[in-house]
Amino acid sequence: MAFALFFPDPLPYVEGLRLQEALHAARVADRIPDTVLFLQHCPVITLGRRGRSNHLLAREDQLRARGIDLFEASRGGDVTYHGPGQVVMYPIIRLGREGSGSHGYLHNLEEVAIGTCAAFGVEAWRREGKNGAWTAAGKIAAIGFKIQRWVTLHGMSFNVEAGLGGFELIVPCGLAGEPVASLRSLLGEATPSIVQVAGAMADRFEAVTGRVLERIPCRDPLPDVLAAALNPA
Amino acid sequence: MDTPRNLKYTNSHEWVRVEGKQVVVGITDFAQDQLSDLTYVELPTVGDSFSGQEEVAVVESVKAASDVYAPISGTITAVNNGLLDRPELINTDPYGEGWLFKMLPDDATELESLMDADQYDQSMPDEE
Repeated sequence: MAFALFFPDPLPYVEGLRLQEALHAARVADRIPDTVLFLQHCPVITLGRRGRSNHLLAREDQLRARGIDLFEASRGGDVTYHGPGQVVMYPIIRLGREGSGSHGYLHNLEEVAIGTCAAFGVEAWRREGKNGAWTAAGKIAAIGFKIQRWVTLHGMSFNVEAGLGGFELIVPCGLAGEPVASLRSLLGEATPSIVQVAGAMADRFEAVTGRVLERIPCRDPLPDVLAAALNPA
Repeated sequence: MDTPRNLKYTNSHEWVRVEGKQVVVGITDFAQDQLSDLTYVELPTVGDSFSGQEEVAVVESVKAASDVYAPISGTITAVNNGLLDRPELINTDPYGEGWLFKMLPDDATELESLMDADQYDQSMPDEE
């Protein structure tokens, strides 16, 4: 038994982080089951632990003037952009020795991205030495996560809409000259909605990690076990 | 997964080898596999003291960062500086050249609370 929470409206990065940290603490303490967040962020550029600020092509004040926040995140990986039109998946799950697959968590996240592309008729693949999921138009999914007490934080972002302009302000993942793709750039008018893509990612996540997700749109009241973890008295 | 019989294990996937009065600590084959190719290691300083389960080191791959915890309370007596240039040794030889640090336990009886190889192999994920 695990939960998938779907947030309809874009969340500021800090709010998403606070949510992840609350769920993580609760998961470490075994107060909640594995929980996966599906959401969009308000425009933000985040630097991973190894993120180099020279992969940032604009000054912080220039970013703020464009309505883009800047954060140093504790996840692995380099610099990336999040914004509306992109589905972010944050699994807060305990990595067990069973059911984790023989290829590890990174491989599983890549598998979710590749399978989500396939669900909409887009071919995607891994590239040796370059993590994430790649398509004919470029990189469509970026990965960066952290494992604390063997419970995961952060995760993967998957581009649905084109015009994710924030990517022009960075060298995504520190890979110079690599284009950023979206389902829109590959499918045009046939592009599925954000809700459909988040649903397909949840489907793939279930198949790849062997978990069953109880899906909760986050306008509804949270299950008691999660509400208690998120709003400690 | 490879689980050497002669080591002790924690539920956070560290292994411990008793070497005289000291213990040698690393991360297990399972742990290195979950993190993929490691690219960076942050090691403690010799002389630092830690309590059991306290964060001691950080290992990072291209896309992931994970803490490493003190299996027991004690003082750091040595760190594997060779990993700073070659963190990939943790992937290729997690129980050998990929060791992380050595500790002098505050109380050697704490070692008895760690898992043996069979218990580690049988330890199931805490999920339904």
